[in-house]
Amino acid sequence: MKECPMKKSDWLAYLSGDLEEGRRTTVAEHLKECPECRKEEAELRRVLEGADAVKGEIQQALREVDWDALPGRIADYVYAGAGKPEKLSAGERVRMWFLQAGLRPVAAGIALGVLLGSLGMYLALRRPETGPGGGRGYYASGEFLDRAELEMARRETVDYLEKSQYVLLDFFGTPSGQAGARPAASVAQARELLSKKKYLNRELEKFQMAKAKAICDQIEMLFLELAQLSDDLPEAELAKVRNLMQDRQLLLKISLVKKELQNGV
Amino acid sequence: MGFNMKKIIPTIGLVIVLGLGLAAPPRAFAQASPDEKLFQEAKLLIFDKKWETALDKLQEIVDSHAKSPYYSQAVFYKGECLSSIKGRERDALQTYKEYIQLPDANPSLVEKSEGSIIDLAYALYDKGDRPALKDVEGRLGHPNRAVKYYAAYKLSLVPDKAIASKAVPVLEQIIRTEKDPELTDRARIGLLRVSPESLKSVEGRRPATEEPRMLRIRITKKGQKEPVLVLNIPWSLADLALGAMDEEDKAAMRSKGYDINKIMNDLAKSKEKLIRIEGDDGTIIEIWIE
Repeated sequence: MKECPMKKSDWLAYLSGDLEEGRRTTVAEHLKECPECRKEEAELRRVLEGADAVKGEIQQALREVDWDALPGRIADYVYAGAGKPEKLSAGERVRMWFLQAGLRPVAAGIALGVLLGSLGMYLALRRPETGPGGGRGYYASGEFLDRAELEMARRETVDYLEKSQYVLLDFFGTPSGQAGARPAASVAQARELLSKKKYLNRELEKFQMAKAKAICDQIEMLFLELAQLSDDLPEAELAKVRNLMQDRQLLLKISLVKKELQNGV
Repeated sequence: MGFNMKKIIPTIGLVIVLGLGLAAPPRAFAQASPDEKLFQEAKLLIFDKKWETALDKLQEIVDSHAKSPYYSQAVFYKGECLSSIKGRERDALQTYKEYIQLPDANPSLVEKSEGSIIDLAYALYDKGDRPALKDVEGRLGHPNRAVKYYAAYKLSLVPDKAIASKAVPVLEQIIRTEKDPELTDRARIGLLRVSPESLKSVEGRRPATEEPRMLRIRITKKGQKEPVLVLNIPWSLADLALGAMDEEDKAAMRSKGYDINKIMNDLAKSKEKLIRIEGDDGTIIEIWIE
């Protein structure tokens, strides 16, 4: 059988459109006449199209490649398969065609091109993430968390003062002699506020909120007393405390502290 | 503050004294007994933060009036005085422990004592007394939720992550079961300190909502490659995080017409999920959600 004169290394350039015009016409003419070459050319084209289709899988595989060991593994694979004399399938013939001595550099170039292209796509499409907090998980520095807790304390202190006012109003604000003026609800609210106050202490002790801490501590002490009260208080005694609260404008003064905190520490 | 704090303190002091009178047994409205007199004086001194003098009076009740109706309260307030005197933290801890064992201890004062025990134990640990932390760790299983939660919060502040991580199950429980944002937000911050991956896991197990899952913030100063602030936090902490940003950065945002409310609204409602603000000084603030 007469050996085909076509240089097969030209086919890759032909298929990728890189072959110079004169040579491209020659290859095209030859393919019209040579069924053997036409068949191999079709198989090669399918291989190249297949390479495009598996780019996504390649991206995943790229992350798992041991690049140092890869050349050795490729060499072992090539030499292990080189001595097999049995009849080859079409796919195997394409593979062997790729691995023949003359085309090895070209095949390696294609494979490398596909790999680098895929890697480039992956790097270009993903958001650049480096340094702390660059991953998909939660992250905040300790310093920022301290600031966040200070901000939380400022807001909660405002809330604490606001609720304290309500409790004091409820407890002392009912006009003297009004039936049903009992502090049970206020006592429960005072207990709840006592429970929350301890979370504020750490930030209140910091310099910026020292003044707020002074008034919160005093209110806490008052609530400690309220929390121990029963609901059968003599009305006359309640009235005394109520009048005192009004005379000294205690609620107004709590409002002023609250306002300052709302405007920033 | 814009007013005289000295005026308000005596005012509340008077209220407390009257409150104390209301809280006292009926006989207190007649002639004050020596123990009652001592107790009322001690309370006023505590109010004025005269800890040493108050402590003397309370100690007198404890030593000489063991059957007084004020005995148990005197022990509690003795703990309050000792905890405020520098160097007496260990004595304060023991006093609170003594108080919570008393048969007539008041539930509110017991809870306050438990909180103080946790604070004092943490302070002692902070000064190098490592075994003191057992009083915090031991309260992670406390039957009172308020005490248990506070112990977990406090333990999350321990710099040694191996110890702090013991708080993780309780912090996770708070996020899963509690509704009060003051508690859940603190638990989230605690988990961010100790184990961000646990926070991610517990947030991932919550029912899916329309809300975004994560807020991301990057702030880069002019001429610097690395960002000066990197934040990846749960959306529920977004408002707090934006409020806690540096004043300079907040000013840069304000100068471009952004305040916290506008950013929150834009992020939550707009389909454009990236906000990029370039300040006049070249600072670049990028905020986006996922």
